[in-house]
Amino acid sequence: MTFDFVEPIVFAMLSVGVIAAGAAVVLINRITAAALLMAFTFLCMAGMFVLLGAETIAAFQVLIYVGAITVLILYGVMFTKSGDRPYALFFQHQTPIAAIFVAAIAIPVLLLAFSFNAPAPPPRGGDLPGLATSVFTDFAFPFEIASVLLLAAMVGAIVLTKRDEAEGADTRRRERR
Amino acid sequence: MIPLGAYIFVSAVLFFIGCAGVLVRRNAVVILMCVELMLNAANLAFVAFSRRYGAIDERGSVFVVFVFVIAAAEVAVGLGIVLSAYRNRPVVDVDEIHAMKG
Repeated sequence: MTFDFVEPIVFAMLSVGVIAAGAAVVLINRITAAALLMAFTFLCMAGMFVLLGAETIAAFQVLIYVGAITVLILYGVMFTKSGDRPYALFFQHQTPIAAIFVAAIAIPVLLLAFSFNAPAPPPRGGDLPGLATSVFTDFAFPFEIASVLLLAAMVGAIVLTKRDEAEGADTRRRERR
Repeated sequence: MIPLGAYIFVSAVLFFIGCAGVLVRRNAVVILMCVELMLNAANLAFVAFSRRYGAIDERGSVFVVFVFVIAAAEVAVGLGIVLSAYRNRPVVDVDEIHAMKG
């Protein structure tokens, strides 16, 4: 008895999870629920990476997306307590136009998506040796640039959210007087 | 074995869901979430092509690592901008934030 039937079932469950949770992120109005559903989408996506045989990428996905980015977004949701405005401004009835625009591009692309087929079987084993070889040979310089980018983003986020101490102290002094 | 087209289809569907979300939703944090969905859909396409086209050195997966880096930087700086705008005026609605429109 073979277990070939398991892979399509797992793929179907994961794709339903990805698409349903992704649609719920867009459609649901409670922002905290949307953030948690986004985390669920990322988790299902990690399952798809495992199904493709890319375990390292799946581990990165769980660590970075489900861990770091979801927590960051949740903090953003908590700091900015506000719902979506239920109405649109009178000159911004853009939802139908946006729907038509997206559908006009999406339908040909979705029809085209099934035309791809795999010319080669996937290589045996995990993706870690190939990934490590690429990162430390051909892509070593971009990898270092990426670390500099992360440092710049960290400094930028701190500068953006830091309160202006000098200005605050000045105001307080003026109030005291 | 799952055909490659199925993965690309799921990736495209998730990408357009995120695209519609960016266009339709007006909350800045939700727009950031939808951008993350689009980036993740692109990651799925990268990994699927990289695995199924038999690349020996996993070029596509390397790009996925870079996308992770960009996404983390983007969400950190984006939330910083949203929070500093929120401190200025307590709205997260992108239609209400027009201080820099000129």
